[in-house]
Amino acid sequence: MEMKRDYYEDVELFSSGVIIFWFAILIGFLALYPFVFKNYYVYVANYIAINIIVVVGLNLLVGYTGQISLGHAGFFAVGAYGTIFLMSHAHLPFLAALLIAALIAAFLGFLLGLPALRLEGPYLAIATLGFGLTITQVIGKINLLGGRQGLHAPDLIVLGQPIDTDRGFYYLVIPITLLLLLFARNLTKTKVGRAFVAIRDADIAAETIGVNILLYKTMAFAVSAFYAGVAGGLYAFVLRFIEPELFNLFMSIMFLTMTVVGGLGSMMGPIAGAILLSWLDLELRNILSIPYIGQWLQELSKSYFSLTGVSNIQFIIFGLILVFIILFEPLGLYGIWIRTKKYWKTWPF
Amino acid sequence: MKQSIWIIFLVMTIVAATTGNGICEEGVTDTEIHIGQWGPQTGPAAPWGAVARGTDAYFKMINANGGIHGRKLVHHFFDDAYNPAKTKAGVKQLQEQIGMFAWVSGVGTAPGLAVKDYLMERKIPWIGPSTGSRHWVEPPQKYLFNVYPLYLGDAQVLTDYAVNELGKKKIAIAYQNDDYGKQGLEGARFTLEKNGMELVETTPVAVTDTDMKPHIMKLKKSDADAVLLFVTPGAVARLIGTGKAMQFNPQWLSTTTCGDFPLMMSITKGLYEGVISASFGMGKVEGNIGEVQGIIEPKLDLMKKYKEEAYAKFAAEDERWGYTFCAGFGLAEPLVEALRRCGRDLTREKLVKELEGLKNFRGIMGNISYKPFDPEDPLCRLGQQEVYLQECMADGQSKILTDWKETEYIPKNE
Repeated sequence: MEMKRDYYEDVELFSSGVIIFWFAILIGFLALYPFVFKNYYVYVANYIAINIIVVVGLNLLVGYTGQISLGHAGFFAVGAYGTIFLMSHAHLPFLAALLIAALIAAFLGFLLGLPALRLEGPYLAIATLGFGLTITQVIGKINLLGGRQGLHAPDLIVLGQPIDTDRGFYYLVIPITLLLLLFARNLTKTKVGRAFVAIRDADIAAETIGVNILLYKTMAFAVSAFYAGVAGGLYAFVLRFIEPELFNLFMSIMFLTMTVVGGLGSMMGPIAGAILLSWLDLELRNILSIPYIGQWLQELSKSYFSLTGVSNIQFIIFGLILVFIILFEPLGLYGIWIRTKKYWKTWPF
Repeated sequence: MKQSIWIIFLVMTIVAATTGNGICEEGVTDTEIHIGQWGPQTGPAAPWGAVARGTDAYFKMINANGGIHGRKLVHHFFDDAYNPAKTKAGVKQLQEQIGMFAWVSGVGTAPGLAVKDYLMERKIPWIGPSTGSRHWVEPPQKYLFNVYPLYLGDAQVLTDYAVNELGKKKIAIAYQNDDYGKQGLEGARFTLEKNGMELVETTPVAVTDTDMKPHIMKLKKSDADAVLLFVTPGAVARLIGTGKAMQFNPQWLSTTTCGDFPLMMSITKGLYEGVISASFGMGKVEGNIGEVQGIIEPKLDLMKKYKEEAYAKFAAEDERWGYTFCAGFGLAEPLVEALRRCGRDLTREKLVKELEGLKNFRGIMGNISYKPFDPEDPLCRLGQQEVYLQECMADGQSKILTDWKETEYIPKNE
């Protein structure tokens, strides 16, 4: 069946023709998506794609290298502010500004990776949390970055093409997302990826067999921050206005939740996590318009959960979904996928 | 058989597409006008969500009284948790899937700015954002009508009162380091300059500052006898509390955002007594200077009506009758008035025209006037420009200190 016989089979990007086939179908679907679905769903897709970028990057850090970060909103903010600033003050084209801003985020990630060499678990969580909170405070003090009054995004022009619709933006975001996904997938299959996993599983053992902990831990932070930086730069153009308050602790926690709920240490998991949670985050607001159930939930919420008579049931349901996924599927959404795959492979037994 | 189903389907689609409300404006049917609004009902900004619930009760009251020219107002409001990405998602969805005729209020500067371009590009009217941000009128937008008075005006009236009525000689300001605080700074400087004076001290307060000792030390050192507070209600409570503990008791003067006296008394544990605050309305009766009144038992007839017919009948049981809730009426009043003036034949362009025709319109807030659109003149979309002053009494009632005071618009200097 799926026995790997040599090294090159292990590192190849697509392990079979079937996967290439499905991948081609996916690309085709993504290419046609904006023409099939309404504009609102194109906006939702853009939002989800941006979250996928952050979460895949975060997963390289949390899932593969076994470090934790509660400060990814900080890198996200650096990407967003960096891109806008470089475009409006240094007059760089969008793609160059995005790349440089993401590299700045990566550099900050590298710096944050240094204390991470000595910190583990809860201590590391607090250190990264501190970073995430500090960066927005610092930005809020810099008048050149708009201080607490925020910044407006300039007009978006990519390769001479003005982009001012959700559909146009979609064709910018999706290729970037796919490119970064392929890069991440590739990375995990190389020496670097194996070093990440070795550090996660047993860092002392990894060091004794010659894995450079200093290099790979800081690299994991830098790469992860780079991803968040790119996503942040794109996010700035989704909103077209940014201010420090946006990049709060809740955002960092949401990124981490998407990663964990999706399934740590896999490629599909975080993608599924980002899709599900971003979608729920935006769409649960409409839960009350579902026929019959919505009415009942509204009454329930108004009678028991809400002081002001407004149904806030969507947040309760959001929480419940998270709890149930983690409770019954500790491997996250990826775990469900593994079981389904196994079931069909061995069907009918 | 299969073919005929397809044909029927095709015919029905064509019929549906060509008849119906093809001639009507988006969001308007024979019996309904769809109005959208966002406002946080959860998260840290949730207290401001009362604005949307106020508007909801207001619209229900109007519908109960027969609607507007035979049409009911259908109010679509959603919770964006003060997250601009969600605001944008919700606005797009309601706009593209149901179709709003216009948008009203909407809490927050960042959420509002995230959707401003979207609404303006589509020429969808948006009336009364619930913050006094300069972003709404600088530059003015044809379809965006500001109602909430700019904080620049608060600062002018407060400063003028401190100098010319109370005879204060040393005015200082504690301001939040953002658009709101900077407007306070500009307004105060503007009025002091007129009187040949200067601010004796300015101390920026960060949203996250919890320890106010350094700020109070600075203010105390300057020997200020009146201090303007352009900060959040929480920071006002901490500043006044710390001031009391450090025996620094100047005349505190605060903005419209801290004009909800019952609430301020409870968060300052009674220290708010004697504080003078600006107010943008909520039922001031003409010429009642020196009278004591409270929002709990309104004296203005219109306010009484809202309390009896909207709040009592349509608000949730635990809803608090306070300034934020009532702002939901005030910010929507110009829209409702313009809808009435439009008559039965309702289009967006007509609504804009009728709004532009509002001159000295007064509901429960101050005078509201607009002018025909001029991209160079922020005043054409500014709306209310007057506030009055009140003093907080021991029981949370307000003593009216001044009549409505017209304020000046100060152009932004970059």
